[in-house]
Amino acid sequence: MADAPILKLVRPLPEEPVRRPPAAARRRSRRVISIGGGKGGIGKSLISANLAIELARRGKRVVLVDADLGGANLHTTLGIDVPRRTLSDFIERKVARIEDVVTPTGIENLGLVSGALDHLDAANPRYAQKMRLLRHVQQMDVDYAILDLGAGTHANVLDFFLVSDHGLLVLVPEPTAVENAYRFVKAAFWRRMRNVAQVYGYDPLLRSVMESGTFRSPVELMATFAERDPEAGRNLARQLAAFRPRLVVNQARTPQDADMGQAVVAAWRKYFGLEMDFLGTIAYDDEMWRAVRTRRPLLVERPDVPSARAFGGIADALLALDTAARPGVAG
Amino acid sequence: MKRLSDQTLYEILEVPQDADAPAIAAAYERVRSLYGPGSLATYTLMTPEEAALLTSRIDEAKQTLLDAEARARYDASLAQPAHGRPGAGENGAAAAPFGIASPPVIPAAPRPAAEAEAGAVPEPPAPAPTLRPADLLQAAALAPPAQPPPIRLEREIVPVAATPVPPASVPPPAPPEIPMPEGALWSGEALRRVREARGLTVQQIAERTKVTRHHVENIEGERFSALPAPVYLRGILLSLARELRLDGQKVARAYLERAAGADGPGGSGSR
Repeated sequence: MADAPILKLVRPLPEEPVRRPPAAARRRSRRVISIGGGKGGIGKSLISANLAIELARRGKRVVLVDADLGGANLHTTLGIDVPRRTLSDFIERKVARIEDVVTPTGIENLGLVSGALDHLDAANPRYAQKMRLLRHVQQMDVDYAILDLGAGTHANVLDFFLVSDHGLLVLVPEPTAVENAYRFVKAAFWRRMRNVAQVYGYDPLLRSVMESGTFRSPVELMATFAERDPEAGRNLARQLAAFRPRLVVNQARTPQDADMGQAVVAAWRKYFGLEMDFLGTIAYDDEMWRAVRTRRPLLVERPDVPSARAFGGIADALLALDTAARPGVAG
Repeated sequence: MKRLSDQTLYEILEVPQDADAPAIAAAYERVRSLYGPGSLATYTLMTPEEAALLTSRIDEAKQTLLDAEARARYDASLAQPAHGRPGAGENGAAAAPFGIASPPVIPAAPRPAAEAEAGAVPEPPAPAPTLRPADLLQAAALAPPAQPPPIRLEREIVPVAATPVPPASVPPPAPPEIPMPEGALWSGEALRRVREARGLTVQQIAERTKVTRHHVENIEGERFSALPAPVYLRGILLSLARELRLDGQKVARAYLERAAGADGPGGSGSR
């Protein structure tokens, strides 16, 4: 399983040898938000940029990180020129700290770490490079680091999603996007399960359980797992309960579309037995599209339109989750 | 976590248990359109079988909860103290490991008089609540583990009086002391010593476990490169451990870690 490195998804058991120092992670009070959703073209970058602006305007110090390692374009969304320093420089260790590649955006409290543009290697960072990137992102001296993830369910994308305090799942109410969103969130769930199993040494047990039959849902799998080892089953259930994606529905056009968020949360709970937090719906809006065309962020260009105001609600919901959460739980 | 089949009809409709009939009717319409057939929210989320199950449970909820008598019966079945009943197919089997000896809760309570006229009740019987894994997990978290200690040596069970038997004649009823490795470090050598202490030859254990002699020897000799992939090796270790009356999980885990640590130079097998 050397291809599946453990990220800092769960804390090691106290009696186990500590695999990596958790002290630095515990000290931080900042939050990492990642924006994913599986499909391309569903507005991940636009949501990242506008949510960042919304939070920055509320006085939070925010850094946007273009973690779409193969297709970075967040700088365009923000209407700034191709930055001189990018994530590539950090990944290739041309600079020591991620702070060295933060570009000002012209918006107060908001910085941008632009994505790798031309270095193909940077699209597939090695494990050590990825760990370093995550570590630095988590330790940046900001209130929110917002990671704009790429499309697909590549391990790198899933790992960024899983280590975040808030993994935002963007969903557009159309079958292709729904299908990809479920594929993405299922893949993230199974990866988390495997990670937990590895950290706690349940790997062989999990594998043997999975070989013992076909499981239509995690609930069934968990029940069988707990039968074999109740102690491990309890712990695994506890660890997996922390898997709580935050759902954002984008490009809603009809009243039914507006109900989509609650429906997905309910369906996910019914079928997977797990929770999601629904943050809000962004209405489909030509202004959004127009803003992209002019290379100006929606919240700068047209803060008055309904789609822009939706970000206020999403930010409210996120901040409420942060207030409610015990520190360090979501990690 | 609850399976669809384990959720109560109220949970299926997402209404509180004291919801009135109009609320239930409205909830049915909502739920049915939100994730009934053709719903976008469940598109590719579930297998077709699960989607069909959910739809049938939604319909069942409507039929049961909008009928006062059927609902009263269903509520009574929900109100029973135990969360689950044994014997609910595969769920029944799940009860034992959790150590929750659910009594067979056949409703002995007096039925409503109306129900005595059995034929007058056209509704399907209220479904019995089944075991819910989530509840089991919670209950198990509270209860002390009813599991047997993982490694039970025979000499702990057999009275000490049962001692020297001439070793040659009969297979020993009480085997000699089983050498347990320090800190449950299940090396090949440790497994060999336990096997010998059990009085088994390689040939015997191979016959009993259906594991080839070749594998047994390689496991004991820790010739990791000659061993099958971990996924198969684990099954073999479990069989051997069972035959040696050891905790298979611990043995397999420890041995696989050793094996993984040995073939990666960095010793990062468990990463």
